[in-house]
Amino acid sequence: MKRYIGKRVLTGIITILIVFSINFVIINIAPGDPVKTLMGQETDDPELRAALEEKYGLDEPLPVQYLTYLKNALKGDLGISIIYNRPVIKMITEKLSATILLVLTSAILSLLIGTIMGIIAARKEDSIIDLIFSGFSYILNSVPSFWLGLLFIILFSTVLKILPTYGMTNVRTSYTGLAYVWDVIKHMVLPVSTLVLIQIPLYFRIAKSSVLQVINEDFILTLRATGMREKKIFNKYVFKNAILPTVTTFGISLAYLITGVVLIEIVFAWPGTGRLVLTAINQRDYPTLMGIYLIMSVSIAVMMMIIDILYAMLDPRIRY
Amino acid sequence: MGKTVLDLKNFNVTYLNKHQRVHAVKNASFKINKGDSLGLVGESGSGKSTLAMALLRLLPLKTTEISGAANFIGKDLVKLSEKELRKIRWKELSAVFQKSMNSFSPVHKIGTQVEDIYRVHEPGAKKKEIFEKFSYLLELVKLSDRVYSSYPHELSGGMLQRVSIAVSLINDPELLVMDEATTALDVVTQGEILDEVVKMEKELDMTRIMITHDMSVVATSCNKVAVIYAGELMEVGLVKDVLKNPLHPYTKGLLNSFPSLKGKNKELQGISGFLPDLSKKYAGCIFSSRCEHVMDICKKQKPKQVEEEGRLLNCHLYGGGN
Repeated sequence: MKRYIGKRVLTGIITILIVFSINFVIINIAPGDPVKTLMGQETDDPELRAALEEKYGLDEPLPVQYLTYLKNALKGDLGISIIYNRPVIKMITEKLSATILLVLTSAILSLLIGTIMGIIAARKEDSIIDLIFSGFSYILNSVPSFWLGLLFIILFSTVLKILPTYGMTNVRTSYTGLAYVWDVIKHMVLPVSTLVLIQIPLYFRIAKSSVLQVINEDFILTLRATGMREKKIFNKYVFKNAILPTVTTFGISLAYLITGVVLIEIVFAWPGTGRLVLTAINQRDYPTLMGIYLIMSVSIAVMMMIIDILYAMLDPRIRY
Repeated sequence: MGKTVLDLKNFNVTYLNKHQRVHAVKNASFKINKGDSLGLVGESGSGKSTLAMALLRLLPLKTTEISGAANFIGKDLVKLSEKELRKIRWKELSAVFQKSMNSFSPVHKIGTQVEDIYRVHEPGAKKKEIFEKFSYLLELVKLSDRVYSSYPHELSGGMLQRVSIAVSLINDPELLVMDEATTALDVVTQGEILDEVVKMEKELDMTRIMITHDMSVVATSCNKVAVIYAGELMEVGLVKDVLKNPLHPYTKGLLNSFPSLKGKNKELQGISGFLPDLSKKYAGCIFSSRCEHVMDICKKQKPKQVEEEGRLLNCHLYGGGN
């Protein structure tokens, strides 16, 4: 097990390095020029250009830029944003915590709700509960997330006026302590509910089908023949076998979610990394863009590592 | 002859669905005494496994109907409540199923599963006690006790089969049902396991029902045989009688379709026709449509079970009267 974890961490680090390099290359060969953006469309003064290139280190050859970036990144310095003139790492951490808050809360909630619904539906297959859950999941599965978000805004904010529509905090007040937490929670309700509802079908389907599959396995028949109680059979044998696909799905969807909540962040004006990515792309803000991609790939790699190790702990058949 | 372990009387199993009732086992009656090993043979779809699963009460309640009586050491398996049933499951009545490759949870160690199974009846049993008991059984099936701390995927198919047999014996059951337990294995492994089963049986003094479609399995490992066709028993008797001198036309046909190792090579003969639709009722003998010796009465009246030459027969050719 220790050997496996060691290997897995090593491959994780290599993955991050490769992603880091690809990122650097792709962004540098993409069309567009940050210096041009800085100078403005109209001016084209060679002296200003040279000065700016020197300031941001863009006059160096690419391999040197790469090494400098790598060295600084290891020290936690991702450079300075060309547009905002602030350290990238600071800008990202400010926004990242908001995104992670949104992503983790909704991922965990949808995992729990979807899986529990799936297990209930599978244990009472063809009952009225199964029918309702399956229908609910079927409808949610066909709903686009931004549309659901907009509906929520209309219903809960415009018509009922009980929940705020945008942002993470109320900008007109400056709460502290418990009041602040409560304010954030109130702002979270709509975006989180949207994300949770959109993701429930995924976990529901996986949990239901894998529980049904495991229940029909031969070893469950054997355990029934031994007179073991259904409750014990389910809690120990069905559950551990049926939860494996859910763990995998959770890992993959979490990774996608970190990068994929941009749309929801924009609908609810959530101050996360989503907007930062958009502006950075539009303005060719290389350091910010590379920083965000780096943080995202690191978080995906770490997430996958955790999931892989967790999976190896759950399933003895997994060993490389 | 020891005491009777299982006494089946007019045992019926019917599968139900919205549109029809499929009579999978009809009026099965036979007795098994202590120390007996009964081979239940028949072609695919003849109701062998259904009979076994019904005896073990493992068929889904919603879609099956069981009637008749199955007296198992003083208790009627048909009428027992789920709670009473749980008391005798595995302790008195245990089983080895088809496809033993899948009869263990892939993510739990064999030892963990054995402990859980043993503790169903002995909740306070210590790990060491269970391990010692199981090591003895592993030795019987010629496996090292390393198996105890292995996961199922670390063992071969033949090993898992042996482990399944060892697990089925952990509570010294009165009756062991082996449902096609060796069918998935190659002939050599099958032969080895059957030899071990026969030896073990003598050592542990147990009674066994062996479900198979392979006559050679019955010939090497059983003392009694019951031939089943389309859910009805055709002939029940001692292996040495029935296999040497089959009386029922179906048994004859079945034996003719197996090659013999000794004696002259003769052409194998199948039985023409196919299994009847079990969702319909038939007035006469169920085998009459395929029988070579069919008479008028066979199409009109069900034969009664008669005893002749030490065996039970369901055929109008026997019983004197007709």
